[in-house]
Amino acid sequence: MNVKSIINNHHFTLINNETNLDNKINKLFASDLMSHVMGFAETEDCLVTVLNNINVLGVASLLDFTGVIFSHGVKVNDSIIQKANELDIPLIQTKLTTVEVINELHKLGE
Amino acid sequence: MESTITTYNIERNDIGNAGTVASLTKRALKRQGLSREFVKTVTIGVYEAEINVVIHSYGGEVTVEKADDYIEIIFKDVGPGIESIENAMTEGWSTASKYAIENGFGAGMGLPNIKAVSDEMDLHSSKEGTTLRIRFYITEDCYER
Repeated sequence: MNVKSIINNHHFTLINNETNLDNKINKLFASDLMSHVMGFAETEDCLVTVLNNINVLGVASLLDFTGVIFSHGVKVNDSIIQKANELDIPLIQTKLTTVEVINELHKLGE
Repeated sequence: MESTITTYNIERNDIGNAGTVASLTKRALKRQGLSREFVKTVTIGVYEAEINVVIHSYGGEVTVEKADDYIEIIFKDVGPGIESIENAMTEGWSTASKYAIENGFGAGMGLPNIKAVSDEMDLHSSKEGTTLRIRFYITEDCYER
């Protein structure tokens, strides 16, 4: 699974520059607590979160995440989008809940 | 033996810049050919400790020392100190403020994460301030192959 295969699904929208869309996703990691993410996520994971602040990108960059999915339709502000463009991290928005995101993407498989 | 020492300031509650020291350290280590896994380990330790200074202390200073066979990072803040180090080292135990929690911190995982990733860790605290020293040993296996 890569970012492109996620945004080909109509529930998901890419909200920043089209870069690194072909990078392979290691696995999905869902959490809103950044220390859990730091402690348990792996390099090249794709984060699913409702936390819409700049620290999410700090963590995503430090762990070389392949992307960040904002679930529950959370609004992502411009400063986050701008920072993600600087860091070349794809950002995806969806109205699905975190559990629905996992279910939907599970269907995409590896 | 060559050793480089870099010092950074950390401001209280400056969540927007939290992670800067971790990010600069990551970049410097990658440039030296250290492996992705080793760099990740160091980065987690530095990031968690940096966040702790931002969200729990009145501010402080970090010194990063890179020698041939280790990297040592010392965080010194100016208070208010950790009331119980034993509690603070317990997974899930947190004294984080509402502000920190709203920003995704305060899981009570910071110090346990730091202990898990580092090779050495010392923590001393009083009302005047807290000092955390963490060290990671660099062996041949830590370099990219």
